[in-house]
Amino acid sequence: MAEFMDLEAQDGVRMAWNVLPGTKQEANNCVVPVSAIYTPIKPFPTIPVLPYAPLRCRTCRSILNPFSIVDFAAKIWICPFCFQRNHFPPHYASITDDNLPAELFPQYTTIEYESPGDKSSSVPPVFMFVVDTCIIEEEMSFLRSALSQAIDLLPDNSLVGLITFGSLVHVHELGFGHIPKSYVFKGSKDVSKDQLLEQLNFFLKKPKPSAGVIAGVRDGLSSETIARFLLPASDCEFALNSVLEELQKDPWPVPPDQRATRCTGTALSIAATLLGACVPGSGARIMAFVGGPSTEGPAAIVSKNLSEPIRSHKDLDKDSAPNYHKAVKFYDALSKQLVHQGHVLDLFACALDQVGVAELKVAVEKTGGLVVLAESFGHSVFKDSLRRVFHSGDSDLGLSSNGIFEINCSKDIKVQGIIGPCASLEKKGPLCSDTVVGQGSTSAWKMCGLDKATSLCLIFEIVKKDIPDATAQSTSNQFYFQFLTYYQHNSGQMRLRVTTLSRRWVAGPGSIQDLIAGFDQEAAVVVMARLVSFKMEIEAEFDPIRWLDKALIHVCSRFGDFQKDSPSSFSLSPRFSIFPQFIFNLRRSQFVQVFNNSPDETAYFRMILNRENVTNSIVMIQPSLISYSFHSGPEPALLDVAAIAADRILLLDSYFTVVIFHGATIAQWRKAGYHHQPEHQAFAQLLQAPRDDADAIIKERFPVPRLVICDQHGSQARFLLAKLNPSATYNSDARVPGGDIIFTDDVSFEVFLDHLQRLAVQ
Amino acid sequence: MAAPVPPGAPRQRPPPQSNYNPNFQQNPNALFDNFQNLNINRPVSMPNSTPRPTPFAQTPPFPSTTPQPPMSRPGPPPPGVVPRSMGTQQPTLPPNVAQRPPAPPAGQSFPFGGRPPPGSFPSSMGSGGPVGVPPSGVPLAGALPSSGSLAGPFAPPPSARPFASSSTLSSGMNVPPSSAQDGLTSNGPLSYAASGAAPGGPRFPPPGSAMQTQTPPVGHPSMVASVRSPPQSPSMRFPLGSAGISSSMVPPMQQAMPFSVPPQSAPPFSSAPPISAAPPQGVPPPQGSPFGPQTWQSRQVGPSHPIPGSVQPPRMFGMPPPLPTQSMTTIPPAMGQTGAPVAASSKIDPQQIPRPIPSSMVVMYDTREGNQSNTPPPATSDYIVRDTGNCSPRYMRCTISQIPCTNDLLATSGMQLALLVQPLALPHPSEEAIQVVDFGESGPVRCSRCKAYINPFMRFIDQGRRFICNLCGFTDETPRDYHCNLGPDGRRRDADERPELCRGTVEFIATKEYMVRDPMPAVYFFLIDVSMNAIQTGATAAACGAISQVIADLPEGPRTMVGIATFDCTIHFYNLKRALQQPLMLIVPDIEDVYTPLESDVIVPLSECRQHLEMLLESIPSMFLNNRTAESAFGAAVKASFLAMKSTGGKLLVFQSVLPSVGIGALSAREAEGRSNISAGEKESHKLLQPADKTLKAMAMEFAEYQVCVDVFLTTQTYVDIASISVIPRITGGQVYYYYPFSALPDPAKLYNDLRWNITRPQGFEAVMRVRCSQGIQVQDYYGNFCKRIPTDIDLPAIDCNKAIMVTLKHDDKLQDGSECAFQCALLYTTVYGQRRIRVTTLSLPCTSNLSNLYRSADLDTQFTCFMKQAANEIPSTPLVNVREQMMNLCVNALVSYRKFCATVSSSGQLILPEALKLLPLYTLALIKSAGLRNDGRIDDRSFWITYVSSVSIPLAVPFVYPRMVAIHDLDSKVEGGSPIPPFLPLSSEHVSDEGIYLLENGEDALIYIGSSVDSNILRQLLGINSVEEIPTQFVLQQFDNPLSKKLNEVINEIRSQRCSYLRLKLCKKGDQSGMLFFSYLVEDKIPTGGQSYVEFLINIHRQIQVKMS
Repeated sequence: MAEFMDLEAQDGVRMAWNVLPGTKQEANNCVVPVSAIYTPIKPFPTIPVLPYAPLRCRTCRSILNPFSIVDFAAKIWICPFCFQRNHFPPHYASITDDNLPAELFPQYTTIEYESPGDKSSSVPPVFMFVVDTCIIEEEMSFLRSALSQAIDLLPDNSLVGLITFGSLVHVHELGFGHIPKSYVFKGSKDVSKDQLLEQLNFFLKKPKPSAGVIAGVRDGLSSETIARFLLPASDCEFALNSVLEELQKDPWPVPPDQRATRCTGTALSIAATLLGACVPGSGARIMAFVGGPSTEGPAAIVSKNLSEPIRSHKDLDKDSAPNYHKAVKFYDALSKQLVHQGHVLDLFACALDQVGVAELKVAVEKTGGLVVLAESFGHSVFKDSLRRVFHSGDSDLGLSSNGIFEINCSKDIKVQGIIGPCASLEKKGPLCSDTVVGQGSTSAWKMCGLDKATSLCLIFEIVKKDIPDATAQSTSNQFYFQFLTYYQHNSGQMRLRVTTLSRRWVAGPGSIQDLIAGFDQEAAVVVMARLVSFKMEIEAEFDPIRWLDKALIHVCSRFGDFQKDSPSSFSLSPRFSIFPQFIFNLRRSQFVQVFNNSPDETAYFRMILNRENVTNSIVMIQPSLISYSFHSGPEPALLDVAAIAADRILLLDSYFTVVIFHGATIAQWRKAGYHHQPEHQAFAQLLQAPRDDADAIIKERFPVPRLVICDQHGSQARFLLAKLNPSATYNSDARVPGGDIIFTDDVSFEVFLDHLQRLAVQ
Repeated sequence: MAAPVPPGAPRQRPPPQSNYNPNFQQNPNALFDNFQNLNINRPVSMPNSTPRPTPFAQTPPFPSTTPQPPMSRPGPPPPGVVPRSMGTQQPTLPPNVAQRPPAPPAGQSFPFGGRPPPGSFPSSMGSGGPVGVPPSGVPLAGALPSSGSLAGPFAPPPSARPFASSSTLSSGMNVPPSSAQDGLTSNGPLSYAASGAAPGGPRFPPPGSAMQTQTPPVGHPSMVASVRSPPQSPSMRFPLGSAGISSSMVPPMQQAMPFSVPPQSAPPFSSAPPISAAPPQGVPPPQGSPFGPQTWQSRQVGPSHPIPGSVQPPRMFGMPPPLPTQSMTTIPPAMGQTGAPVAASSKIDPQQIPRPIPSSMVVMYDTREGNQSNTPPPATSDYIVRDTGNCSPRYMRCTISQIPCTNDLLATSGMQLALLVQPLALPHPSEEAIQVVDFGESGPVRCSRCKAYINPFMRFIDQGRRFICNLCGFTDETPRDYHCNLGPDGRRRDADERPELCRGTVEFIATKEYMVRDPMPAVYFFLIDVSMNAIQTGATAAACGAISQVIADLPEGPRTMVGIATFDCTIHFYNLKRALQQPLMLIVPDIEDVYTPLESDVIVPLSECRQHLEMLLESIPSMFLNNRTAESAFGAAVKASFLAMKSTGGKLLVFQSVLPSVGIGALSAREAEGRSNISAGEKESHKLLQPADKTLKAMAMEFAEYQVCVDVFLTTQTYVDIASISVIPRITGGQVYYYYPFSALPDPAKLYNDLRWNITRPQGFEAVMRVRCSQGIQVQDYYGNFCKRIPTDIDLPAIDCNKAIMVTLKHDDKLQDGSECAFQCALLYTTVYGQRRIRVTTLSLPCTSNLSNLYRSADLDTQFTCFMKQAANEIPSTPLVNVREQMMNLCVNALVSYRKFCATVSSSGQLILPEALKLLPLYTLALIKSAGLRNDGRIDDRSFWITYVSSVSIPLAVPFVYPRMVAIHDLDSKVEGGSPIPPFLPLSSEHVSDEGIYLLENGEDALIYIGSSVDSNILRQLLGINSVEEIPTQFVLQQFDNPLSKKLNEVINEIRSQRCSYLRLKLCKKGDQSGMLFFSYLVEDKIPTGGQSYVEFLINIHRQIQVKMS
């Protein structure tokens, strides 16, 4: 496993198969698709940033890289993708074997270019706050203070705008000096771009352009006009704070049997249009703070009548959520608009009830926005996450914008698509597979917002029919991939990161061991998780458990070691050994077992899954469990109910939740206050250790996880129990030492394995 | 018409009634009164000034009049009686008698002579005219001369002098009598009494032609004689009485001078004489002839004595003309039209033709006396009412103070039957306040069938156990706790203690039953145009300034709510919530589909937002200082504001400066289109006076439904399509204020004062009004500013003291002669302090089957106001020519029947006018020449005119078309008690001299005309400028430290308070646009573009009457 981590540390890439099946047939037999999890702007301490423009192949436009074959004498390089011979331009004249440009250094398979000319045109980051006011006064005050803290943290040069909404949408003209001023739009009505521009008086001083896209300074909008709504943070801090301070709860009366009128969709649409008009193409984020379900306008997710419940997974399954498709369609259109403009939608949803994350998902995900789901604006999950967004320093998110992601690869490989926070740019070409997964049918994607953790899952398809002859195979048994990421670095400059990969492919009867050797089971399960989530959303009547089980059985039959029909003879190579366990936990995870969650939560979990790297994703699928006791130092524990013991503290990290679980005895001691007594220092330390570890986790993670501290047999203990393997349930015979059982009918891992072995060997 | 006139007029009327009642002296006059011929006689009230009526001496008519009425009361006025009146008259006359007799005769004689006279007058004119006339300034002089000759004839009268004045009126011989009566009745004071008297006279005549004849005989002889000889003197008469004319006529004949031909035509006017009573109206239409001369005063010297008076008249200008000379009848070439003008056969002395008679006297008026309804004083006069059963005429008056029994009779009379209701009219300060009656939870007692409210005319029977409804005749049980025994007189014993049983107007406290919700708070929402034009012209600043000053005047208390919004091509609301540090601006940019941005906090209690409001109003002009939006979304803004007010209702005050060009109800510059397409424009021009589309109307209906009243202040310098905009205020019970062309210098003061009055004047909200009539009469329709959803009621989101509603009536059955017909107007409304009230106004009038009674009780001002309102109603749908014709016809129709059935004159050559309606032709002429009916006006001016007229009350309606003009260069030279306003001048350019400065006002605008050679000293004192060249185009009245200036301010302030309007002051000088404007108000002048002069018009009327008669 370590070698895969090393590869990741070099290029930010994890591939399920690091030795590729060489033919289409073989690839199909591998069950887990040829795929890569790529973190485009993963920070590398040593990465070189070249201050000049990259050298491209004449035909395929791929960029000069360490895998190119260079003829120093002739000053020629051969593109590994298309085999085109390219002459070096004059300024490479001095190139020799021992005088290489950085991009040809073998260790610099990942490298960045930064064109110096771009600095002047750099546009400061833009933040458009879209704030829900249909929330109770208490929430309002939490939100107010969170926002004003956030504003303090804004970079001084960043442009800020504010939109508040409830029944109506208020677009605040922060640049108006006399009194607080806002434009008010009806929530039930979708406003077109032209109408909006007109209604916001954008053409006062100039005749309206007769045709064409009106956008930004370039297209005739005066910067003065723009400055009415988007102001440098340093200039509008006062105005912004005074508006926030006086921000009132939406004043329209809400009958007791009704939900508040909330027009989230319209507000977001207006925000998008406004940004599109003012700062098209430059990095801008719409940060939406939503405190309840949208009930008004085109994107309403539920009627105002409280007697109608908000849609559940069941409703979605039965297609009995009347507003769902309409709302999704609306946000889909919105996402296209945002992608076109290069803007990001971030969603901070804080409510006990659902707010419509499921509908909003498409817009957030395609624009690469951040999403945070919490119960309240006063909850640390929200507060700390928001602070993290603007925080600079070690743990900053590295928010970047305006990314374009492109790939090149060898001609026998096609791309089915990407599952992750990006949007297709619909650049069709020979690279595109007919089969589409996620954002497909293209070789270029827009990533309006990306940060240093954003990870894409690329699904490839091997198209080579069969193997020509052994000799040919030996000469060119490498597949090449080149990932190009253009993005606006948070310093404001445009950068291009190039990662070029080479992987050997194998084919034929003897190849299976090679394949096994190159199998990255963590990456594989993450790919499977993204795939199954995607399929659950896209395919009707899709049975995820069955699909996963079939896949697992196929994998085991193909790569396992066994004698036919002898389950006991079954064994797996270490490369595959934990794969069944991952799948077992994936089957039980929130990504597959959606009925324990609301559609909003599911959407939220999946969005996070789709943007996180392999390590984090694994935690989501199979939480980590650490045990603390007097007997030993912190040590990983089996994710099993058996891990519970009265004299232990358990730290469960399920990514979204971090649970500190005090065994019964520990809890008693703690309640008795022993840790305050000097003679029980050790106990205090024992109590503190998991806290410190939890804090470390929390500090690194975005969104900030929820911290649950609970005691054995306490009600909060469910957060732990739900994640544990139910090896001891209410109907199992043997009582385990920890004395805890789980009330479930779910099968335990043992039973699962038994069945697997039986089926695999058939 | 100068308000002053009224006095005179009233008197006249009263007399008539009295006449009916045989009792009084006045009666006699009455006889004559009826006659009132057009004759010029309208003895001017002048007489009043001169205490003619020695006999009665009483001062001003009123007092006297009042007394008289009572007299008359006694004898219920049997219509038929009239004739007797003659008899009575005589009795009354006694004193006068002698004189009278002669007079009448004269009149008659006239006829004969009369016709010929046309010439005579002219002659007189010629001779006297030139002389006398010119001297208008020096009336006396002129008068004398002419009179001189005449005088001789009249001389005799002189003795009569006292009456003389009256006689003057009678002008003519015959007339005199009538006039005399008037004088008498009225009080003798000559004041127009004479004329009034004349009418009285006429009545008699009508009844029995014999009467006339009789009368005539008496006076005639002498008269005649006088007449003839007098040609000149006659002239005097003419002016006053018909006699005059006749006489004038005669003379001409004799003289045979110019007129020979004209005679006939001329005669028409002269005709008057027949009725002895009827003052001759010789109204020869002198064309441009030199009227100049007369001054007001001169005109009518009120001839107190009829006949004699006639003689006396002479005194033209002179004030109270002692001399008989009045007759200035310079009847220029009346008919002359065809022929040489001069030749004019009929001579009409322009000075003697009927004109309003100003009076500064305050009349005391009891609404009923002796269980009889009392004919009300003219609406334009100054009077104090005592409510003795009938409502004050301020609240409700009828076009005729007696109700014709049958529809046929009404049709024959050619008059209109309508009520003008002004339910919240301002009372005179000395009047008793309206009493508020609380019936507790049961609510006011009402007829169970027709739902009429209890009133003094409900008759209790059966020991008070039951009562008969005076409106539907149904017999109801008296509610137990309201029972009271009857006294010996058949009235309830408690009748005098209970206002609802002894007052024509009371207010009931409304019970829950009358409320669909709690009474609404007083909500004021200000909506201000801040588009580029408004900002640049200073309109926005003016509006903000006015509002912030006016905030202090809003009703106190927690129930007063205010809100404010501004708009250009978007609508800006302001959150005024107290908790905020400063107001919050909320913009509604979608002007096609508007909404209100806040549920609450846009409209907040005044007490909680004063500071915010002040801060905001102060900063609005600067906030929008650089606004470059030229567009205006008026319709959308109004709609959005409405939505904000929808839950409560209230007043929406809109300040608008440009044509609404975008958003809901956007309008186009139709005027320009109309102008560019002239051929279509001419024919279809009235279409521009119709609303451009139905959107605004639909909006207005919705506003009205939610009790939102919209007032629009148009501070503009361009066309704004008032025709379309005004729909909203009209349907919601609001008002249009028009400042064109808006100027930041003088107009803000008016804007403030208008706004202040708008808010502080007595008013009510969420009102519903219904008028009920006695059986036999029913309401045909309502006209005014309101919204009507069901046929019987009208909804008034707001109603105030200045709004009048015309209610047309029709017969659905016969009424019984001698019975009374009652009208009851019930207005359910909420006061500004949130009390729900029902104001019930009841008027009970006698029914008559006598045509002459109808004429005698015709209410000129009211009828004319009806004309105006009808015209205003017609203009948008009918070409102007037709409307003018229609107005002419209305006027002619009323006069024809009189001429046909009531005047005894045998000659068709005389123009005879009923005394009560003798000013009708003048007013009609003024109406035809008014901004609303002129061809050359701006479309917006005409639309504004229409809008103004649709809700105008009677006292303001008349001056609006017949403005009042006074000289102000010599203010300090006149020292008089009473009103500071100097006497009025006839609206003729002859009375405007180059050395003078004149003030002309119509209740809206005031023009100060500065002659070209005014003494610079006066200029400096009045206006602070040194010469005519320095006259500024914009004018703000200042008070300088000199008596003249102080006087002027005093005068203007007095006018302002009379008109409840600040007046837009404007300086005019000869030779430019402003001068033209000024002269366009001089309705007696001939307008180059085709408008007839007064005299011509009279001739025209006369001709039409002749045509109709034949």
